[in-house]
Amino acid sequence: MHKKLEKLGLELPLLPTTSVGSYPKPPHLIEARRKFVAGRLDAKELPGLEEQATREWVALQEEVELDVFVDGEMYRGDMTTYFARNFEGFRISGLVRSFGNRYYRKPIIVGEVGWREPITVEWWKFTQELTRKPVKGVVTGPYTMMDWSFNEYYSTRREACLALAKALHEEVKALAKAGAKIIQVDEPAISARPEELPEFAIDAMRMVTRGVDAYFINHICYGAFEFIYPGMLELPVDNFDLEMSNSELDLIELFREHPFSKDLSFGVVDVHSHVVEDTTTVEQRIRRALEVLRPEQLWIDPDCGLKTRTRDETVSKLRAIVSATKKVRERLKVS
Amino acid sequence: MMEILTASAGSYPRIGSRPEQQRHRQAYAQWERGELSDKGFERIQQEVTREVIDEQVHAGLDVVTDGQVRWYDSISHFARKLEGCEINGLLRFFDTNTYFRQPVVIGKIKRSEPILEEEFIFAKGVSPKPVKPVATGPYTLAKLSINRRGGDLASLVNEFAGVIAQETSALSKAGADLIQIDEPAILKSPKDFQMLEHAIEKIVAEKSGARLLVHTYFGDATPLYNKLVKLPVEVLGFDFTYSPKLPGTIGRLGCEKDLELGLIDGRNTRLENEREVLDVLKKILPNIGSKRVYLTPSCGLGEYLPWEIAFKKLQNVVAIAKKARELI
Repeated sequence: MHKKLEKLGLELPLLPTTSVGSYPKPPHLIEARRKFVAGRLDAKELPGLEEQATREWVALQEEVELDVFVDGEMYRGDMTTYFARNFEGFRISGLVRSFGNRYYRKPIIVGEVGWREPITVEWWKFTQELTRKPVKGVVTGPYTMMDWSFNEYYSTRREACLALAKALHEEVKALAKAGAKIIQVDEPAISARPEELPEFAIDAMRMVTRGVDAYFINHICYGAFEFIYPGMLELPVDNFDLEMSNSELDLIELFREHPFSKDLSFGVVDVHSHVVEDTTTVEQRIRRALEVLRPEQLWIDPDCGLKTRTRDETVSKLRAIVSATKKVRERLKVS
Repeated sequence: MMEILTASAGSYPRIGSRPEQQRHRQAYAQWERGELSDKGFERIQQEVTREVIDEQVHAGLDVVTDGQVRWYDSISHFARKLEGCEINGLLRFFDTNTYFRQPVVIGKIKRSEPILEEEFIFAKGVSPKPVKPVATGPYTLAKLSINRRGGDLASLVNEFAGVIAQETSALSKAGADLIQIDEPAILKSPKDFQMLEHAIEKIVAEKSGARLLVHTYFGDATPLYNKLVKLPVEVLGFDFTYSPKLPGTIGRLGCEKDLELGLIDGRNTRLENEREVLDVLKKILPNIGSKRVYLTPSCGLGEYLPWEIAFKKLQNVVAIAKKARELI
């Protein structure tokens, strides 16, 4: 797939390093968002703080020498709710528990879903202007938007999913038009009901990506891959971003059985652990992946978005990724 | 004469959306940071349990639960108190939007301390209505665990069954009249039904006076209905949201056990209208020999609905049950 990247005018090293999407927000931004929610801060105050935080994360990504950047999502709360708030047809519910002490506001589809105007494009542009490294566009996928929303309007899950795909296609087109060459579609829920993958999830992804000239990454996290593999390879994307460090499933064994035909962004550090993996551990994980994948197929990144870690943990985890990747690159050169 | 009652199917939201309804969440965070003592957090959990029970009573339910306010999730709440188990990372809970911490079995499973007893005794003490304790079933606990110690699934189920049997026995002695065992996992692996059957027999043998309720959800129970009605328990519970054919099947094959009918979708904010639910009840009620039928949401509401909607759903259960009584 490096060929497709070259055609798009992107030159990336072997084993490009990147991040999944979110970074931790600085405490003053969290506090400001809290005040805003409580009605004690004017909405106008937020963008400046979010831009400042984005600049800091761009600088940190430069410092750790990541190859492909993200904007860090300083302006997003929950990944589904953020898009739902900006689409037609949604209302936002009260707080729903996710696990332990974690809560989120779940969107409710109450009418026909529609795309009004670009949602993430200005943030993508803002970030790309700060760096020469390519910045990924990141959107939440139609299946996940459907599965993570209440549905009071459409009569089936399929209908809701395809309506969302149509709306997201507009966003993806707008990102590509602005210049985004790498676009990631986050689908952590894609394996929720495996039977729905051939029924409509693949169609939905086709609607999102059709006719858009970009290198598409599909990010999938916690889930049971064995139920949708190798069927998921039918999804019309170039790269799958899968978690490996937090998964008990031995995907490597799975890939031995059914060769992995796309590029793979290999999640090598656990975003839900405070413990920073040492370079050797990460290096071993990468070498493990190279047992079943060609180096040209492989990207290296964390398991998932890093927003639940501290700034220091995040930077250390990214450093571990970059230094382990560099070591593996050296070895590949030698051999 | 059939009696139609209303009940909670399990968990209930701990917090609402307004700033003053955040107490449990804030206390939890403080406790995690070490700023609140175990005792202080326990006091908050007791207060919230009391409120959650009040909510259910206020909505008009005949049978309530403690809302599972203390549960991290329905799997690790048990596993973390067992010998032979460690707790691993997060995994999606069936096809829901919630996650649970997956147990890793590293040795022989043994119950080293009571799990639900204290929670039940507290709830019973503060509730004006009967409290139904809910335990996750041995098959589901075993199926959702990672087995690192070797041996087959059947022996793991059997060991978890020993634990849940001790739990049920203790709950029964503490005064529980009806005890619910949740077995959602069996719907995804019907071929393992015999394991579930043996496990339930083991629990029944030690349950003393309480009536036992086996509840399945997050899947279509229609293919297993024939087998479920033969389990040696007094009550069966069903989630109808996956099962367009289940009402017809129950109507056709009948049922002599009491039933818990999860006809109100516990995972969607849309409020059912009375008629759509009553139409389904018309297919079931005239054809069964059950003495008691409990109308419930399809599953616990604590992880799936915001507080505001959860209460409306329970009110809806109560309103529909009232209409259903006119049917019979």
